[in-house]
Amino acid sequence: MANQPAAGLRARMARWPVTAPPTLYLVLFFLVPTLIMVLASIQYPGEFGGLSPILIEDQGHTRLDITLENYQRAVSETIYLQLFLKSLWYAIVTTVLCLVLAYPLSMMIARSNKKYRDLLLLLVILPFWSNFLIRIYAWMIILGPQAALAKGVNAALGAVGMEPVSLLFSPFAVIVGLVYVHLPFMILPLYANLEKHDPTLLDAAQDLGANAWQRFWKVTFPLSLPGVYAGAALVFIPALGAFAVPDLLGGTDAIMIGNVIKEQFREARDWPFGAALSFVLMAVALLAALAAAWAGKRYQQQAD
Amino acid sequence: MAGATRSNSATRVSRPLLGLSLAVYLFLYIPLIVVIVYSFNASRVQSGEWGGFTLDWYNKLLHNETLLNATLNSLIIGVAAAAIATVLGTLAGLALHRYKLRLLPVLVLAPVAIPEILQAVSLVLFFNAINLTLGMVSIILSHVAFCISFVAIVVRSRLQGMDESLTEAARDLGATPWQAFRMVTLPLIMPGIIAGALMAFTLSIDDFVITFFTSGPDAATLPLQIYSMIKVVVTPEVNAVSTLLMLLTLILIIIANKIAPSALQAK
Amino acid sequence: MKKLLWALLLVAGGFANSSNAEDVLHIYNWNNYIAPETMERFKQFCKCKVVYDTYGDNDELLAKLAAGAKGYDILVPTQNAVETLIKQKQLLKIDHAQVPNLKNINPAYLNLAFDPNNQYSVPYAYTVTLIGFNEQKMKELNYPTDSWAAIFDPANLAKVKGKITVLDSPTELFAAAYKYLGYSINDTDPAKLAKAKEVILKAKPYWAAFNNTSYIPGLAAGNLWLVHGYSNDMFQANLDAKSNKRAFSIGANVPKEGAVFALDNMVIHKAAPRPDLAHKFINFMLDGKNSSELTNLIGSGNPNSAAQEFIKPDIKANKGIFPDQELLKKLEQSKDVDAKSRRERSRVWTAIKAAKVK
Repeated sequence: MANQPAAGLRARMARWPVTAPPTLYLVLFFLVPTLIMVLASIQYPGEFGGLSPILIEDQGHTRLDITLENYQRAVSETIYLQLFLKSLWYAIVTTVLCLVLAYPLSMMIARSNKKYRDLLLLLVILPFWSNFLIRIYAWMIILGPQAALAKGVNAALGAVGMEPVSLLFSPFAVIVGLVYVHLPFMILPLYANLEKHDPTLLDAAQDLGANAWQRFWKVTFPLSLPGVYAGAALVFIPALGAFAVPDLLGGTDAIMIGNVIKEQFREARDWPFGAALSFVLMAVALLAALAAAWAGKRYQQQAD
Repeated sequence: MAGATRSNSATRVSRPLLGLSLAVYLFLYIPLIVVIVYSFNASRVQSGEWGGFTLDWYNKLLHNETLLNATLNSLIIGVAAAAIATVLGTLAGLALHRYKLRLLPVLVLAPVAIPEILQAVSLVLFFNAINLTLGMVSIILSHVAFCISFVAIVVRSRLQGMDESLTEAARDLGATPWQAFRMVTLPLIMPGIIAGALMAFTLSIDDFVITFFTSGPDAATLPLQIYSMIKVVVTPEVNAVSTLLMLLTLILIIIANKIAPSALQAK
Repeated sequence: MKKLLWALLLVAGGFANSSNAEDVLHIYNWNNYIAPETMERFKQFCKCKVVYDTYGDNDELLAKLAAGAKGYDILVPTQNAVETLIKQKQLLKIDHAQVPNLKNINPAYLNLAFDPNNQYSVPYAYTVTLIGFNEQKMKELNYPTDSWAAIFDPANLAKVKGKITVLDSPTELFAAAYKYLGYSINDTDPAKLAKAKEVILKAKPYWAAFNNTSYIPGLAAGNLWLVHGYSNDMFQANLDAKSNKRAFSIGANVPKEGAVFALDNMVIHKAAPRPDLAHKFINFMLDGKNSSELTNLIGSGNPNSAAQEFIKPDIKANKGIFPDQELLKKLEQSKDVDAKSRRERSRVWTAIKAAKVK
């Protein structure tokens, strides 16, 4: 990296036009609001919702009324732990499936004629400009009992003497939904990476006698790893906190940790606990991202 | 680099690759086809059956000022949020790639990880504290806050492993940092910027939770309208308006491409 | 790129109509919760502009207002949310001198516990949470639909497994289970909550989903046979089934054990920019004819005595929408719940929803 040792005040000043605008924006509109919620996570819920005052009058003098019990509850009660694990598992499955589906498509777009690349990319994102809820409703119809898919599956199951199944309101529907809504966030970063690969490398590999499979695993895939990480982060982390898809497509035991968090800001009106759960979830997500980055570095070092 | 000739079989789009890609496109488009087909369905009930072709829902939609206004609001917010987030996100991506920073990497990753509802509540509390009236401006400011990360992460991954010697060469030849960026770096990272901008626009135009909280009177977006409609009665009018939004967006992009074709291309 | 984006912004901005300073009333209400013709007449009457924004449920509304959102004049929350808003000091007192039409409201719906003397709220419309069903299918199966046993008793449920949904709302589902067990829906005794949990967990394996939104098309299409939901939704589902020329109709029963009665009320937000227009609107909506139009549009219950003569006869005859005196006595309104009980209930609710089926 261009981290010159001569970095004095001048070098730092030269950075500012690049680093200052996004940093300032995110500090103002992300960090400061989030700190309000960090404070909320150690407060008590208000009797009627919202937050109870942080300073209270106690026998003539004011004192801080804060607690760690929200975090204690978030990490000590097994039900929340189970839901964290379940959400992790769903997010991992979603990420892997997205990667498997996105890779061929991104590769095809990156390798197609330059004239059509932007168009092909646009076609990927186009369906996502209709409305989220309407697309999920469309999936409810596709997976529903009157659609061809369920009828076909159940006819096949019936032929081998098995009970008919419901595709809608099942874990299968949840996974389909999660993969569907997150897929473009894997395809776009992967494409942005694959598009820059130097074709002469692959030609050279072919000249050296590598077959298509070897060329992929030895050249294309390792080079695309930054794109894979970017896509994986943009799929895994949001999928971990998903709530709308399990709500709408899942059965009676479909909830994930995101549903519990949402619930704390709705009927439960327990913002402190909702905030505490949210920060635990953020920590899990960021730790997972760090672990993946570390594993990736090890893998690359071994490959070199 | 990108313009190299493709005579060699190693980099051609092979048949299995094309087949797989078409299958994935199909997966992406099946629900969309359902959405569009049902917007022409004469039957009000949406459950997998056909009640005959009709244009009634579009006719109704054209007289529904509330929905049309919401569509327009969504487009304005989406374009504005994506534009600002793309500029700031590209800078953030560059910064992450070039410098060893402490705060910015966390600031970029954390908004992706924070549950939407927490961010939504925190933003309303914040806007209230600084006395900003809720409305279009507060929605755009909030959308930018969660879109920057997506652009930054893609731009950074595009830069990774890229040869920076060209930029340095340009600097050695006397180019100012801005010139070097404009002439060398920007064209190289353009596909990443486009991918990031598309994601930012998509996230903004589809967002419900954060928009619901940060919106004020008279600033309803399409998702807000659709969510409250679906709680009461779903009619194919909702499908019609979704289809319309998609078409409008597509037209906007095509016009943009005509006005400034260079802006959407890598070179 | 930048130039292009600015150009786009300008083009987009050009379309946005800028509203000048004029009389504007801001209503924050449920979607489709006022008849278009009523709205038109109100605009002519007050010579003002009306901005109508919508929310999806009370919890969203409460969360948004608790975070400090303002700018709305009129809100239309359900009674327990009204109670919460009163306690949070979020509402403005209604000046009764400005709403003479309050006399039109049936006294049975006035001066209720959540707002004594209607200091802050005026009744708008109501729904009953009940059981909706496919009438032909239920007859065929000889299925009892007059009791909460229809959705809770495993002895019945085997016949409708996977064809039944319940509301995805702790308030509503616990209330139904409480009624089934013979408790008051506002009981906060943890032992009773545990009993309700037991009942729900035994029935859960037979339910297809917790569902607030898609049961109307589900019923109308014949995919669902039995649902726990709102009276006006069953009315809608039946209309849809009819218009699709189904071989079945959708019926609704208020279970004999009693059910939840939800009264939506007009209130004025404390930060209302135009309380004067808000009062005008409230009085206007209390007029019999104006009030009846909503009922005729969506099949909501109507607390306005002067409205009765304008209501379509088939809606008036619908017992799910207009329960008779005897049924009315068994209906109960949800109250606001304190922080400790909310926390306990949320804990049990999470356990119920996370419990593995099979």
